Amino acid sequence: MSISTASRGQWGQRATDWGLFLWYVAAIVFLFGPIFAALVYSFNLGVVNKQTATITGWTLKWYPAAWNDLSLRRAVQTSLVLAFWSALISIIIGSALGYALVRHPSQIARKVLAGLTYVLLIVPETVIGVSLLLAYAVTRIPLGMATLVAGITPMAIAVVALIVRARVLTLDRRVEEAAADLGSSRLKTLWFIILPQIAPAVAAGGIMAYTFSFDNLVVSAFLTTPQVNTLPVYLYGSLQYGPSPAVYAAAAVVFVFTLLMLGIAALLYRLARRSGAAMTIA
Amino acid sequence: MSTLTSVPLDVIKPARGRLGAPSARLVDHLLAGIPTLWLALFFLAPLGFTVVFSFGRNIFGGVELAFTLDNYRTALSGFYGATFIRTIIFAASASALCLAVAYPVAYFIARHTSRHRVLAIVLILIPYFSSFLIRVMSLHMLMSRDGFAEAVLNVLNLHSGPLDVLDTQTAVFIGMVYAYLPIAIVPLYVVLDRIPRPLLEASRDLGASRLETFLFVTLPMSRPGIATAVLLTAVPMLGEMVIPKLLGGSRGVLMGQALSSQYLQSQNYPLGSAMAVLILLAIAVIVAGLARLTKGFAEVGQ
Repeated sequence: MSISTASRGQWGQRATDWGLFLWYVAAIVFLFGPIFAALVYSFNLGVVNKQTATITGWTLKWYPAAWNDLSLRRAVQTSLVLAFWSALISIIIGSALGYALVRHPSQIARKVLAGLTYVLLIVPETVIGVSLLLAYAVTRIPLGMATLVAGITPMAIAVVALIVRARVLTLDRRVEEAAADLGSSRLKTLWFIILPQIAPAVAAGGIMAYTFSFDNLVVSAFLTTPQVNTLPVYLYGSLQYGPSPAVYAAAAVVFVFTLLMLGIAALLYRLARRSGAAMTIA
Repeated sequence: MSTLTSVPLDVIKPARGRLGAPSARLVDHLLAGIPTLWLALFFLAPLGFTVVFSFGRNIFGGVELAFTLDNYRTALSGFYGATFIRTIIFAASASALCLAVAYPVAYFIARHTSRHRVLAIVLILIPYFSSFLIRVMSLHMLMSRDGFAEAVLNVLNLHSGPLDVLDTQTAVFIGMVYAYLPIAIVPLYVVLDRIPRPLLEASRDLGASRLETFLFVTLPMSRPGIATAVLLTAVPMLGEMVIPKLLGGSRGVLMGQALSSQYLQSQNYPLGSAMAVLILLAIAVIVAGLARLTKGFAEVGQ
């Protein structure tokens, strides 16, 4: 390779590198733009209590306004209760699934479970939502909190299962075999050997399931009733007739809340990996 | 160490299997059985109802179970048929654009970040995990008349006067790309990161230019990531109902919305079920296509 083509190549490389960097920055700006805008609009005065695209002045009044909006507050409460039960159920069932996906002795069973999880992830939420609505209508089960929780859990279970599965894959199988050889029953091994090792992953998965359930709109939209109305469904409904800026204040609080929860989840997951590393060294 | 311990363990195994087998097997069956039962009840059974109902007949005040293809005929003709086709074209093109935008981003993270890599990924993930509705809601605000997008385009001289992008299919398109961009970046990053560096160096040493290395080594080796990204974007787009409703108004109706209104407004469950089954069939076709694309690699979605 001659010197001239080498330097031309270097110039071309530097230009590509810069281009890639700028592309990344542009993507980040694009992704964060609307989130940032939601925060900004929550301080917008608006016109006659309606949100406007232009900033008409700054105010803090929408935060107390959102807090004092009773139906909004009820929706938040419903969402919190829904997310709690959904997270609890998916922690138990999702962890079992995540473990069985890796360690079930029968290969056929593992394949069936993997297929089920896979299908769960690729069926659009709209289809899941209408199917559940139809199933409840046919079986004449009245809609309520329980039906909503049951409807949300399959997807939340998949979320927990995938995170737990990833952790179980890294576990040293010989530790379980050693426990069994020393006379520990399967249940005891699960409780005293496996669970402590996967606990942080379970917790991280639980928080992910919690935020997922809290934020879920599509499936909830089919299963909520005037009595049991979640926050996303309430916000979605309020958009149809021009939202008040209080909606943006609520959205801003939800955003910060979600970010906090995910921060905790990420921290737990990191801790899990570190303690996992310590364990294999020890 | 592993060779030393594996020998005695193998010797002990049969004995342990005989002693702890029944209860251990029970635990294993419970661990697999409980999730299966739960998912069968609240996921598979409802889908089954949908499939059965899609062949039923809508009669006044209820549904008559039958075996008719009328619902499919309705769902594939006229307005609904056009909507179905448009939805497929939309999902395909929006997913393609998503990938085109995502690929350089993923490439940048995989090849050009080292110390700040975690930060670079977290910045992509935060928007994805923050509320979907809030993001679409603000996007609506930004794209509306007198909004921020209008101001920027006017300043840059790319557009003059009021911006009427809302309630058009363009707005739906932008919204789809926006909403699904992060989830397209992640799987692409994962595969790009896993391509062994020595392979790229070998390609360079054997005389390939950077472009050639990219086209003949990197791109083919990132096929599983491309397949996963298509799966994670195109599939939910096929059922998407919120973005078309909020950004597209009456002109951007897609299948997900047409389907949901059969349940929430017209109460025509059989027709809605047929639409749902058609969406599932379209997804099955996509999955089969992607399986071909990744032949020889680990399974899609890993």
